[in-house]
Parts: sequence; structure tokens; C-alpha cells
Amino acid sequence: MLSRVAESMYWMSRYLERAEHTSRLIAVKLESMIEQSREDADSSWMRVVAALSAQERTPAAPDAFAITQGLAFDRLNPSSLLSSLSNARDNARQVREQLSMEVWENLNRLYLRLQPMTMDGIWVHHPAHPFREALQDLHTLGGVIYSTLSHGEGWYFLELGRHIERAQLVSRLLDLHFGAAKSIVAEAPKYFDWLVLLKFCSAFEPYCKAYTAAIVPEKIAEFLLFDAEFPHSVRFSVDRVCDALLHVAPAAPPLRRAVVERLAGRLKASVDFTQIEDLMKGSIAPFLDDISQQCEQIHDTVYTSYIAYGAETVL
Amino acid sequence: MQHEAVVDLLDGRSAVARPGRGAPYANYVLETAYDEMFAADGTVRAHYAALNARLVTLAPEELHRRQQACELSFLHQGITFTVYSDKQATERIIPTDLLPRIVTAAEWTHIEAGLIQRIQALNHFLRDIYGDGRVLKDGVIPRSMIYGSRHYRREMRGVQVPHGAYVNVCGTDLVRREDGAFVVLEDNLRVPSGVSYMLANRDVVRRAFPNLFRSMGVRPIEHYPRELLAALRALTPFQADASIAVLTPGVFNAAFFEHAFLARQMGVELVEGRDLLVNDNVVYTRTTSGLKRIDVIYRRIDDDFIDPLIFREDSALGVPGLFNAYRAGNVVIANALGTGVADDKAVYAYVPRLIRYYLSEEPILDNVETFLCREPKSLSHVLANLDKLVVKAVGESGGYGMLIGPHAGKAEREEFAEKLKADPENYIAQPTIQLSTAPTFVDDGVEARHVDLRPFILHGEETVIVPGALTRVALKRGSLVVNSSQGGGSKDTWVLSS
Repeated sequence: MLSRVAESMYWMSRYLERAEHTSRLIAVKLESMIEQSREDADSSWMRVVAALSAQERTPAAPDAFAITQGLAFDRLNPSSLLSSLSNARDNARQVREQLSMEVWENLNRLYLRLQPMTMDGIWVHHPAHPFREALQDLHTLGGVIYSTLSHGEGWYFLELGRHIERAQLVSRLLDLHFGAAKSIVAEAPKYFDWLVLLKFCSAFEPYCKAYTAAIVPEKIAEFLLFDAEFPHSVRFSVDRVCDALLHVAPAAPPLRRAVVERLAGRLKASVDFTQIEDLMKGSIAPFLDDISQQCEQIHDTVYTSYIAYGAETVL
Repeated sequence: MQHEAVVDLLDGRSAVARPGRGAPYANYVLETAYDEMFAADGTVRAHYAALNARLVTLAPEELHRRQQACELSFLHQGITFTVYSDKQATERIIPTDLLPRIVTAAEWTHIEAGLIQRIQALNHFLRDIYGDGRVLKDGVIPRSMIYGSRHYRREMRGVQVPHGAYVNVCGTDLVRREDGAFVVLEDNLRVPSGVSYMLANRDVVRRAFPNLFRSMGVRPIEHYPRELLAALRALTPFQADASIAVLTPGVFNAAFFEHAFLARQMGVELVEGRDLLVNDNVVYTRTTSGLKRIDVIYRRIDDDFIDPLIFREDSALGVPGLFNAYRAGNVVIANALGTGVADDKAVYAYVPRLIRYYLSEEPILDNVETFLCREPKSLSHVLANLDKLVVKAVGESGGYGMLIGPHAGKAEREEFAEKLKADPENYIAQPTIQLSTAPTFVDDGVEARHVDLRPFILHGEETVIVPGALTRVALKRGSLVVNSSQGGGSKDTWVLSS
């Protein structure tokens, strides 16, 4: 597979994951705010902004309309829903010949449907609705990708992108509730915030199945970090990353593959052999930070090994 | 049949409309141009009868709905080009027309034979001028015209191209004269585009008129990508094992959709210049697993940009060292470099003579009548008829150095006549041609619009023409300009099997 193609597949998938995450956070937040007091809703909005912003910044005023506008439709915000979708689509166009007609058309339609939307248009009735729909479309797209593309190298680059992104996004959310970044929002999370955290990760029902409906922060952390079967846990994503790395660049020189696989193995060991009790006793922050940095390292090494390697190293 | 003369508001000439025919044709105006659907007396030509029967039964709203379905399909597929304004980049679809343009089996047989003859002669010619130069020694075409051409590539002298086929993919623009004869307007021998629109139009129009399509016996064109692949494979000794790539300038090129489309349909890699590198005169792509050798490049980049070491050094699209790998015979590039010399205005005028010279045959398809002012007899004819002709400077393009006789004043014509006499070699002249008109869906009705016809010819070991073409249509009433950059659209073209 061409290195450039692999790169575009990888980024298309990362941006789609980001778009899905953004849609879900906005939808959940808009739906839940009506049940919260003004103060609680405000601090909860701050967490959403912090979770979806590239920089460590808090909004000037927790104004739901302005925040939603910025997170969903602001083209100048590189991590807005529309920017993410637009970037995913640009990458898909780059590798148009690698994708099935169905994948391209589903992505393109979703973009064309969201692109002309305005806040004024959605705000009066059911503001959460378009984001639920976008989420639905993104899930559909995930299914279309799964069932219409060959599960070859390109597909594994999609898997790699999706789960590196997801592991980092979930880590970030946990950090905002348990870790160092929780100080960004003055108010400590309340009962309702824990519920919302689970919903941010599509985890409410699966959590209840695993731990009953009793909301225990430590159990939530354990579930979102270490559950082996839930698709939005960090551990699940790490497993997918490791699996993807076994399948990409099959004919690359063994030495270069070894560098990548060693990093993947180390990350896997970190999540496989850490116990939630130990983390909750001390501080969870360094652990989350370490996970995130290991993901970054894997990203960099995939680039140097498979995508942007110097031609002189292989001639 | 009742006729009624109405005055065409645009040019004041009298024309014939058929209001009696009812709804869809209320604004259908027949002019002096040949009309694809209606004979001069207003009767429907036989091969358009079925379409006519369908159209008169469909309500305008229904036609409108089908037209929208076609456009939506283009939008979703991403068959768009981008218009950049101050801040915004707007994506527009290439306009597609709902109504097919129909070509009879007999017309197609004639066109096909003419195109095969023509591409054979042009390939002979290219082989000759990059080889022995026999045609120049024999004085059939002036040396200065070839060696002075901007598109003549001295670097190609003595390069062996597979099967002697320089032009592997050709898109020839044909127009229909007022007498109904197809004539060649232009040969596109460099990187002709539009074939993806031919296929995309077919896809949407067949869905718009499924029953009509089935009943009319339209010849299929879907195998074009396979034929292209076969033609490219035939250019290497490796055949089925050959590693083939489509080379595109990238996603910002107006024809990127087509490049990606063809790569996908052929199942070959789509590459950009930055994906390729040359080492020891061998071309490789950079893959995740290392370098992979490339045998055939179907390039959609102009000669000028293909290798910054040989041609334009400011080109970021090309591949340094590609030309030397090509000269060394380690990679095949299709079309070959330097084909542009054979499709310029002056050489065009010589194509009928080239056909006689190389093939000892009479041309099957005429050129648009062209007067070479370098020939005394033609010069005197041109000077005597300046008010009826379009005179073009050979080396110029884009409308520069041109006189449009019918629109020019007396003083302007006299001034131009002096230029002509001073440097006749630099000029050719052609009569103004009325392109034929075809029924086109406009403003919820069916109106006549001018069209041309671009079939695509594949030439490798053998010559193959898929029975279809891109019909470009000037969507503005009365306009003769079919280019998509200037308000042109395209139509599906149905070639009938009998």
C-alpha cells in the first residue's frame, strides 16, 4: 500500500472518530442540561469544552448556544464537528480509489447534510436532534466501512487511526473527571456528572450490566480503562491498536516492524497489568498521561517506519 | 405538419419553432444548424422517435424530478469542481443533461472507421518525426512547422516506444456540419479527459430512462476501464504481472475525480509525483512495506511538468529522473511524451494529407475546411473572403491574433489583410461552423442546444473505440461554446446497435 494512501486512511479514520466523539458529547450534553441546575450544567459544559479542545482553555462564559456553535459548526475551530468531518472527507477524497462507493457516498452525504446547518436553524426545537442523527450516520458509516471494504492493510490503518484517537479521547475524559485536568473545572463531579461521563462514552448500559446501576466512580474508572470487551474502553482500543499493528506493512523489513511492535507491546502491558485499586490509592493522572504519550509515540513511530521513511534507508 | 416562423430574439434570424407539438417543445427553435432530433421539415428523425414518444407522455414536473435525481447523484458521488471566491470554496457539479444524444449504428460505423484511420496516421507521423523524418524530407509538411513547435520534444528523438504507439489514449472532438456530416474539429493527443463523465452520464441517464434504454438497443460502454487496462498492459512484456499506476497532479486538479475513478475501475494504484522516486533509472513507489517497482505510468500530467530535471524545473508535480528511466526503457509512459506537436492548429490542417501519405487512403472523416495561408491559392481565397472566415495565427491560442471575419469592421479586415500578406505562413483560416443542436432539458422544457462529440480511442497493440462518447453541450441558448469552464455541460451518448 502506498505510504501516502496509508496516511490518508489513518487520518480519515482519526477524524471520523473525533467527529463521532464530538457529536456524542454535544448530543449528551444538550439532552442532559435540562435536568441539571444552572451551576451544574455550567461546570459540565466546561468539561465538554475542555474535552474537545486542542488547547487547555476554558470558555469565557458557559453559554450553551455559543459553545455548541463553536464545537459543532465553527470552521475556524480545527476540532469542531464540521472541521473534523471536512478533514475526514478531504482525506477520503485523496484515497477515493481505495474506498468503496458506499463508504464515500455515506461520508459525503453526511458532510453535505451538516455543512449548511446553522445554530439558529437547530436551536429552537430539539437542538440535540441533529447531533443524534450525525451520530447515527457515523455509526452507519462504521458499519459500511466494516462490511464493504476488504479487511486488508488499508482497513487496518483505519482501525489504527480510530483506536489511537479513541484511546486518547477517553483518557482525556477520564483525566477531566479523575486526573490532573479535573482542576480545569472548579466543581467536583457530582452524581449526575458520573452518569453523563458514562453516556459520553456510550457506556451507561454496558456499565450497568457489568456493575449494576450503582454509580461508583472507582468502578466507572475501572470500566472505562480496563474492561476488555467494551468498545469504548481504553484497554479495548489498545488491543485493537496492537492487532492493527500486526497487520499493517506486512512486508516491511523486520527491524522496522520490531520498533513499532515493541512500543505496542509496552502499551498493552501498561493496561493489562495495572490495577484500578493501585491507581485510585495514588494518583491516576500520571497513568493517564503515560497512556496518552505512548499513543503519541506509536503514532510517531508508525510515521518513521512506514510512511515518511527516508528513501535512502531502503535502497 | 404546421410550421410557424418565429424570430429568434438573439440574432434576429428567422427560425422555425413547433408550438403545435405541445408542452416539452414549446421553446424548441430550429436554426440553420443541423438538428439531431428534428429534420429540417420538423419531423422527428427515426432514431429519436422512441425518445420523443416518451417525452411527450412525461409531465414537466416528472422530467424535472429526474433531472434533479441525476444532479444529486453527481453531487453525492463527488463529481464536482471547486470554485474559489474570497473566503469560500464552493463545490459545483459539472452540469449533466437528462436527455441522451443518440447516434445511429451507421453513423457510428463511419465515425469509428474514420477515427481508427486518423489515429493510425497520427501515430505514423509521430514515429516519423521523432525518427527518420521521411515526411519532412518528402516535403509533405514543412520542417519549420515541426521543429519550430513548442510541443516538439527533441529529447524524444530516437526513443523507442512500444508498438510504435505514441498516442495510447486519444479524445477527438467531432462536430456535425450543417449538411449533417461529422467533421473533426480537434485531436486531443496529450492528456484528454472526460471519459469518466461519459461513464457517469450513462449511469444516471440509464436510471432516469430504464425502459427506453432497454428497448432501444444501446451499446454498452462500461468496459472502457477494462479496455484501457488491457491497452496499458499491452505496452509491457510483463503483461498480467505489470505494475501499473495512474499519475495524477493531485486532489486540486479539476480532473481528479476522473483520475481516481479510472484507477479504482482498473484496480491499479493512483499515485502523485511525490509517491514516486527514481533510482538507477528504475521507477518506484513508496509503500508502507518499502519500495515497489512501477512498469507502466498512465500519466495525467502535461509533458512540461513530468520531470523537473528535463522539462520545467519549477514543477513540483513531477518526478525527478523519470524521463531518463523512460529513455532507458525501464518504464512506459502513456501517452508518450511529445505528442502535442501533432495536435496543434497548423498540423491539424495537414492531417488529411498525412492520411494519404502514410496510409494511401482518402480520409474517411473530413477536417473542418481549413485554408493554409502559406499556400498562394488559399491565401488569395482567404483575402477575397475575409468577411466570411475566421483567421487564426498558428502559434497563438486563447483567441489572440485572431480575426472573426463576420464580426469585424472593414478597417479591421483591411488591416488584418496586410498582416496576412506580410506573413502568410503564420495563419490559417476556417469558415464559422454551426455545431449541430440536440434536445436538451432547460427550464422545465426541451430546447435545442449546440453539441459536439468526443469519442475516446485506445491504441496500443490494437485500436479499440468503446461505442460511446462524451457529448458536450452549450447550455446557453445560441452559444457555440461547449467548454465546462464557460457554461457547458455534458450529455449521455447512446450509440445504437442497429
